[in-house]
Amino acid sequence: MRGRIGSQLVQYLALIFLTIALNFFLPRAMPGSPLARLAGEDIAMMSPEMRQEIMVRHGLDRPVYVQFGLYLRQLARGDLGHSFQRSAPVASIIAERLPWTLLLTTTALALQTALGVALGGWAAWRRGGSADYGTMALVMLCRSMPSFWIAMILLAVFGAGLGWFPMFGAFKPWLVGGDTLAAIVDVLRHMVLPVTSMVVLGTAETFMTMRYSMLDVLGEDYVRTARAKGLREAVVLYKHAGRNALLPVATVFMLSLGFAVSGATVIETVFAYPGMGRLMYEAVLGRDYPLLQGCFLVITLAVIAANIFADLLYPLVDPRVRLT
Amino acid sequence: MIPSAQGKRPMSLKVLFDNPPGLIGVVLLVMLLGIAVFAPQLSPYNPDERVGRPFQRPGEGHLLGTNDIGQDILSEIIWGTRASLTIGVVTGMLVTVAGTTVGLVAGCTGGTVDSLLMRFTDLVLIIPFLPLMILLAAFLGPSFYNLMLVIAVLMWARPARIIRSQVLTLRCRTYVEAARAAGASSGRIMVRHILPGVLPLAVAQFVMSASMAILIEASLSFLGLGDPVQKSWGSILYYAQARGAFLTGAWLWWVLPPGLLITLTVMGFAMTGFALDRYVNPRLNRRQVCG
Repeated sequence: MRGRIGSQLVQYLALIFLTIALNFFLPRAMPGSPLARLAGEDIAMMSPEMRQEIMVRHGLDRPVYVQFGLYLRQLARGDLGHSFQRSAPVASIIAERLPWTLLLTTTALALQTALGVALGGWAAWRRGGSADYGTMALVMLCRSMPSFWIAMILLAVFGAGLGWFPMFGAFKPWLVGGDTLAAIVDVLRHMVLPVTSMVVLGTAETFMTMRYSMLDVLGEDYVRTARAKGLREAVVLYKHAGRNALLPVATVFMLSLGFAVSGATVIETVFAYPGMGRLMYEAVLGRDYPLLQGCFLVITLAVIAANIFADLLYPLVDPRVRLT
Repeated sequence: MIPSAQGKRPMSLKVLFDNPPGLIGVVLLVMLLGIAVFAPQLSPYNPDERVGRPFQRPGEGHLLGTNDIGQDILSEIIWGTRASLTIGVVTGMLVTVAGTTVGLVAGCTGGTVDSLLMRFTDLVLIIPFLPLMILLAAFLGPSFYNLMLVIAVLMWARPARIIRSQVLTLRCRTYVEAARAAGASSGRIMVRHILPGVLPLAVAQFVMSASMAILIEASLSFLGLGDPVQKSWGSILYYAQARGAFLTGAWLWWVLPPGLLITLTVMGFAMTGFALDRYVNPRLNRRQVCG
């Protein structure tokens, strides 16, 4: 177990290094002067002296390995650079946005896991019947839809059409500082449509895993024993079979934990939700490269953190892992 | 459901026709392929030409109305089929070839090469791929070919893992041992004896990667990272979103049809893949009947 965690750790360190190296070399490897991408200045309008001055200010006249060293030192201080568009450090912009993404994704993840487990277990129990095939077809259909399209349709129908839910943002600014309960309700109302879009898309994998693993478990001897004892079907299903069928689902849950942060990108864009995904989109629109790179690095770190969390949690869920 | 679970399993069309989802999938794909091939004949207008007033409602010669600059939406969608299918097929191919090669070489060679390759594969598997794709696409600039390249570069890892595990089971089969005993070189064993064994799996992986690629292309185009000149379903939706189509009733004919086509295409690929998976993985079937 300790050896496995050790090798995982090496893997994560390699990934962090790869991310940093990509961030460093991408703007420098592209054709044309890296000045525009690194300094965000309009170089065509400048005199050669001014250009030289900016080169020196950003250290672009030094050898590449010195530049890389300087870049690493800058990152080690928690400095992710300065955004072109907004006159603010990238780190503080991201710190403002990350909590919203986490709120959205953890809620969606919890709901889709619950829904996937319930539906998957039920479908396995009714295997081969029309209920089974019906849910399977529905889930497959949902999984085939583009996430942003689901979001756009929900927005058109429940936002613009029926007016049940707010169309964009995460909260109404004028409610801030007022009644706490009203503010909470407001935030929840803003979450409904984005979270629904994510759940529609994300339930498929949990459902499929739960269904297959439940089918496996239902064939076991102890399930037959439980039935032979005359236990009610619901007890057999949820207490005896369900608990063991949940293990593969836990794996899927932990894998998606890592991707949850990055998965919200497109949906946040549709709802103009002020999270990391929307931030990346805005950075792309404004060609704000430092901000874009900062987002990528932070998302990678978040994915790694989620993975480490999953690695540590897994032995608690499945005691058999501890023995190996 | 499958002809015979053990022994030789001839690859034939019968497999698909015995499997209703597979049949539906193939029919869907053939229809879409038809639309893509006959786009010039099927589309009523040139999709790049301004043929009417902007924001026209359906009717008056425009079945799905016109977009923000007066182009016929139906023609745009028909031509978009070409772009999306091309992305799917080409990227799926790149991914499958790369994944199969890595999986084959890693599985057959073993040792240090294997562990290094698999380390790298695992690394690619945990990279948050959508943000990286956005980053790469932003730096490389919006172009059709860059998009395919970026998607392929990040998607080969999964097939590589799956192919490798299949290679490992094939490597210790008796017929491979027999070939080795007969003095066949390791290269020959890899290409002549093991490759045919993983091909059905590679085909299933191709189908899955193609559908993933279509979804990812749509997402990237929707974020404005697609080719601005190339009409694709994702870029149609990008303009629909940018021009606020869902604020008016326009989403019914501007947003709904392209998304439905993406869904149908992905389902077509997924159902075909599902049927193929059943065929190459009879274990899935056996699991089905237990209980």
